[in-house]
Amino acid sequence: MYRIRFHGRGGQGMKTASRMLGSAFFAEGFEVQDAPRYGAERRGAPIFAYVRADRAPINERGIIRQPDLVIVADDSLVAVPAAGVLGGMTSDTVLLINSHESPDTWRHRLNAQSTILVLPEPFEPEDHAELPYAGAACAGAAAQLLGVIPWASMEQALRHELAELAPAVIETNVTRARTAFERMEPHRGCVREGRAVSAADYVPPNWVEVPFEAARISAPAIHAPATSVEVKTGLWRTLRPVIDYDRCSRCWWVCSSFCPDSAINVDAAGRPEIDYDHCKGCMICVAQCPPHAIETIPEHDAQAAEGGKE
Amino acid sequence: MSAREAMIKRMKDLPSTHLLGTGTPMCAGCGGLEALHEVYDVLGENSVFVNAAGCMTLLSVYPFTPFRGSWLYTAMASAPAGAQGVRDALDILLEKKRVTKAEDLEVAVLTGDGAAYGMGLSATSGAIERNLDFLYLCYDNEGYGNTGQQYSGATPHAAKTATSGGPRGFAGYKKDLFAIWVAHKPAYVATVVGAEPLDLARKIEKAKQLTGPRLIIALAPCPPGWGYDPKDSVDIGRLAVRTGVWPLKEYVDGKVVHTKIPHPRRPVEEYLSKQGRFAHLFAPKRNEALLAQLQAKVDAYWAQVSE
Repeated sequence: MYRIRFHGRGGQGMKTASRMLGSAFFAEGFEVQDAPRYGAERRGAPIFAYVRADRAPINERGIIRQPDLVIVADDSLVAVPAAGVLGGMTSDTVLLINSHESPDTWRHRLNAQSTILVLPEPFEPEDHAELPYAGAACAGAAAQLLGVIPWASMEQALRHELAELAPAVIETNVTRARTAFERMEPHRGCVREGRAVSAADYVPPNWVEVPFEAARISAPAIHAPATSVEVKTGLWRTLRPVIDYDRCSRCWWVCSSFCPDSAINVDAAGRPEIDYDHCKGCMICVAQCPPHAIETIPEHDAQAAEGGKE
Repeated sequence: MSAREAMIKRMKDLPSTHLLGTGTPMCAGCGGLEALHEVYDVLGENSVFVNAAGCMTLLSVYPFTPFRGSWLYTAMASAPAGAQGVRDALDILLEKKRVTKAEDLEVAVLTGDGAAYGMGLSATSGAIERNLDFLYLCYDNEGYGNTGQQYSGATPHAAKTATSGGPRGFAGYKKDLFAIWVAHKPAYVATVVGAEPLDLARKIEKAKQLTGPRLIIALAPCPPGWGYDPKDSVDIGRLAVRTGVWPLKEYVDGKVVHTKIPHPRRPVEEYLSKQGRFAHLFAPKRNEALLAQLQAKVDAYWAQVSE
């Protein structure tokens, strides 16, 4: 059985990528499961999607803990614990990352025995509208790495899954997927099917037993204000707004009022400050700033400029 | 005009630091969160939020909350009933002198349009009937956004939703919740949008001075549900006002007053064409008849507004 796990951010088309790959497998006569993990995640937050495919009926259910292929559409997720990118990876797992860095860098950085590949054309759009194409590229590359899906089936699946979109958008998706498919030719079929697992081998996690308590004790009461600041939603960001203080007119209110996340505060002198721990990169401030004093910088470049601090 | 309301007269009077905590799981560019953070700055931390199921249920997921006061989660239809319980409890504590007048809290209901326009309408009607002293904030993203934008009673005519496809989109019409609420003759009803923060702040200031049921509908532009880039949330909110699609108005002292009449009113098309949910009106072929019908509906609304 093939077990494939997609990691991306909400809006990058991971759910669609899993559906494309699932449909392509199905067209090749496989039994297929494909499902995104539904949770409290939102656009920009870490997203998971899973595909299982087998020639025999699939009895496994639920999330994939031991993947044969892990696909990461956004390399900044590797460092995010909540994304769990490396979970369950072994030396048999193939890891495909959309990254500017080389496979060697990643091998060294992760100290991993797995086969590590990067997408041939790192895909880092400067516009949110480009984001979903990452999914098509990932699905195309995956089809090649699996070696059991010819391009014709992949293309057919892609067109089927995207049928509702505008023709130009579908063609761009096909092109991205095809490029990734073709460039991965040297690695054709490098993903090996994982062993079937049996319920008898299941090792339960180390459950912590919690005694049944009265509601006063067990009800989840929060006793401090604004604890949400502990959640670093800045990790969702793919684009970073940067204020040019020479051009900022100290208007006092525009960026700060419109920022949905309360992530811009203005000090007594009228100087706005962006809270990068929490800014999700929606770029409303960039669009609204009257003197255009806020620039858009790809998060990757901003972090590189900081000397890889993050 | 009270002293507090007079505080917010100009853009410069808007708060520059914010009460609502960062780090919420709302989508990047969420128009509902934008409205809520603007509302919260004015409403203040001496408040209890009673939240019906919806996107904003996710604001407070243990152990995290962006609020500085309490938050209570209710089923989708019953937030106003929950607010009644909280208000009653506070009143009992006041009467027993276990809380002082200064410690009293504003009880605020927070629901999406699914609850406000649909299944929570009966509970709201009952709460207004009982003259419950509460504030109701509906973030209206015109569909069941939390589950993937299925249509709701707030979905506009012709919009594409997860459950309204085809070349004509949603066949129904957006329910006039403002008029339904006004028909109950509560203390205050208003429409707002995060893209007009001054209008919003003045209305929340006004509502805060009043007692009894005070109900606010905030149009909440929704990047994933409406199909546009998150950076355009404010532009789309502003266009909703300038094209006349979202009239900013209030009901107080038995009268409906429009607080921002668009002059000149821009063509509705400018608002529609920026959103993926209306893309089928423009491609592959412009649907002139349907576009004219949508424009005519807005024109008819404004024709009956006296200036």
